[in-house]
Amino acid sequence: MTDQSGVLNDVRQGMIPAHIYNDKELFDLEKERLFSRSWLFVAHESEVPQAGDYVVRHVLEDSFIISRDEKGEVRALFNMCLHRGMQVCRAEMGNASHFRCPYHGWSYRNDGRLIGLPFHEEAFGGEEGFKKKGQTLLPAPSLGVYNGLIFISLDPNAEPLEDFLGDFKFYLDYYTKQSAGGIELRGPQRWRIKANWKIGAENFAGDMYHTPQTHASVVEIGLFREPKAEKRKDGTTYWAGNGGGTTYKLPEGSLEDRLRYVGYPDDMIERMKGQWSQAQLDVIGQDGFMISAASLFPNMSFVHNWPRVEEDSDDVHPFISIRQWQPISENETEVLSWFAVDKNATDEYKELSYKAYLMCFGSGGMFEQDDVENWVSLTNTAAGSMARRLLLNGRMGLLEDGGNVVEPLTNEQYSGPGSTRVGYSEYNQRELLTRWADHLERPIEAAAQLKVGMTAVRKTSKSGSASSCVAAEAPIDEAAETVLLGA
Amino acid sequence: MSVETANVRTDRTLSEQSPLGAHAPRTQRTGESLAFNDELHLQAHRWLVDESYLLDAQDYEAWLSTLASDIHYLMPVRVTTALGAGYTTAPGMAHLDENMYSLSRRVARFATEHAWTEDPPSRLRHYITNVRTFRTKNPDEIVVDSAVLLFRSRGDINEAATISAGREDLLRRTATGWELARRTIMVDESVIRMQNLAIFL
Ligand code: FES
Ligand SMILES: [Fe+2]
Repeated sequence: MTDQSGVLNDVRQGMIPAHIYNDKELFDLEKERLFSRSWLFVAHESEVPQAGDYVVRHVLEDSFIISRDEKGEVRALFNMCLHRGMQVCRAEMGNASHFRCPYHGWSYRNDGRLIGLPFHEEAFGGEEGFKKKGQTLLPAPSLGVYNGLIFISLDPNAEPLEDFLGDFKFYLDYYTKQSAGGIELRGPQRWRIKANWKIGAENFAGDMYHTPQTHASVVEIGLFREPKAEKRKDGTTYWAGNGGGTTYKLPEGSLEDRLRYVGYPDDMIERMKGQWSQAQLDVIGQDGFMISAASLFPNMSFVHNWPRVEEDSDDVHPFISIRQWQPISENETEVLSWFAVDKNATDEYKELSYKAYLMCFGSGGMFEQDDVENWVSLTNTAAGSMARRLLLNGRMGLLEDGGNVVEPLTNEQYSGPGSTRVGYSEYNQRELLTRWADHLERPIEAAAQLKVGMTAVRKTSKSGSASSCVAAEAPIDEAAETVLLGA
Repeated sequence: MSVETANVRTDRTLSEQSPLGAHAPRTQRTGESLAFNDELHLQAHRWLVDESYLLDAQDYEAWLSTLASDIHYLMPVRVTTALGAGYTTAPGMAHLDENMYSLSRRVARFATEHAWTEDPPSRLRHYITNVRTFRTKNPDEIVVDSAVLLFRSRGDINEAATISAGREDLLRRTATGWELARRTIMVDESVIRMQNLAIFL
């Protein structure tokens, strides 16, 4: 394997070897060292509201059934039959009390437990030959939920989700906890773009600089009541925990004025006041900033915007979208884009907010259309040998000597956590890429293997060399139960 | 996989189910498809072919003038569901769910000098086939089914993208010709393999 330390060091300096956006070897390394252990968003609890509801989601090539079992617990089950590996569930969504494998008919409850095994006695010699009891579809090694957002990690030793999110939770609440009811998620729209997954994540994390240029057309057609694209430089970028984003500067006024300014009706404002902390309210009401786009490392992003969506009306209507940049290859990404809305909002609000989302973002969104064109083109250009000679300057906001163009806001100036600056910069893109470099540098530990029907869990090294039995752990039924309960 | 679906089967059309479809005309087809030499069918077929030339040429202003003011233009998100689940579209989510105003904004955007996604413009070809026409209870409205295959080529070397879909249209007769009053586009993939929907089907 090529030594990538030079690339990773350049990235840490804010210099970006252009080929990182289209490089097979780096993509293999991302699969091995990043997506194999990072927390990754898969679904929201509102997508599986009833017992038996499920959706099927992917982490790279791995398919997981995200289901709500009969007790109401959310599960993430590797979608592979324990017998000969058939995909157990081939629908994307639905409601099922159990999943029956089409190949030989093993069936599993929606909590993953194996309950049906045809000819158990004749073929396997019953429980004595093959213990049916305690067998379960392989659960995701780690599962965590925050504000109903379901994350999994393929690393059984992943740090707790809330630790990983850290101070980004403060900002996550603006998108996903506008009232005690939380959000309901609709979608996702799914489409594939010939672009590297990192580009979108970086863009949403901090690229306020592209708005006036890339999105000029959307302003020209009156989707905004003012030339908002130009105003981006008055907003901030913030980085907190493992995520960061951008804000718009709001006009003078009270908290209520400012929330009304972006289109929130009074009933929602009242619920926000009851839900958010004083500091969360102060970022808006006192400091005058409203969250816009954001990314959570590595590949989850958020949008909040407030366009005009009706003829002959100056009213604006806010919408929230959540998305995932699902890597397919070094030059292809599947975008999953959901519409999110406060569960307690009125139907009328939900409709207008949905309309705003469809007009601006997602597969048909007018903002999005121009973004993707850029990213596809960038990815194409990054494939060749000349791109290997080019170190792109991703140092916006830094002086040549490493000093800051703009200093972070102080605690007096800004109420939120993290590091926040007014104006254009690429601090957030660098934060993302630094984390990316940290993962790519660190070899992974061997993953435990489950021997179906046998009782030991064996470890192998990544290289695949047959290492000896390192850890003989608890019988599978107990081990599996532990993982599930710990989830 | 065995599935006991909790989703109730519904006889409501997708346009009726849409949260943004309240304004849409509700006229439905009646009876068998018309003979291929029926005057109504001939007019419908001609309308669709003429439309496909407008869309290929990205003559969107002209296209907009062929739409009724109460148009509902809907492209649901398709999902893979178990046989018998009773639905194949994502509940409450579409790729496009448009009225005249939002369609006019899309067209206006293409007319600016800053719609980068179509500069340089795509080469488009809408293949229209499997056209059949139905009467409705309203003598001035007909329902037309068609299949569309869109071939879209962007740039000099990029691989082309295609979208296959079925469409159900409601056409309305006016003093100046037929207008499109409702279109439901059933795309045949759950994952769109095109970088965006800066096109019309
Ligand atoms: S592979 Fe599933 S039952 Fe045999
Ligand atoms: Fe953008």
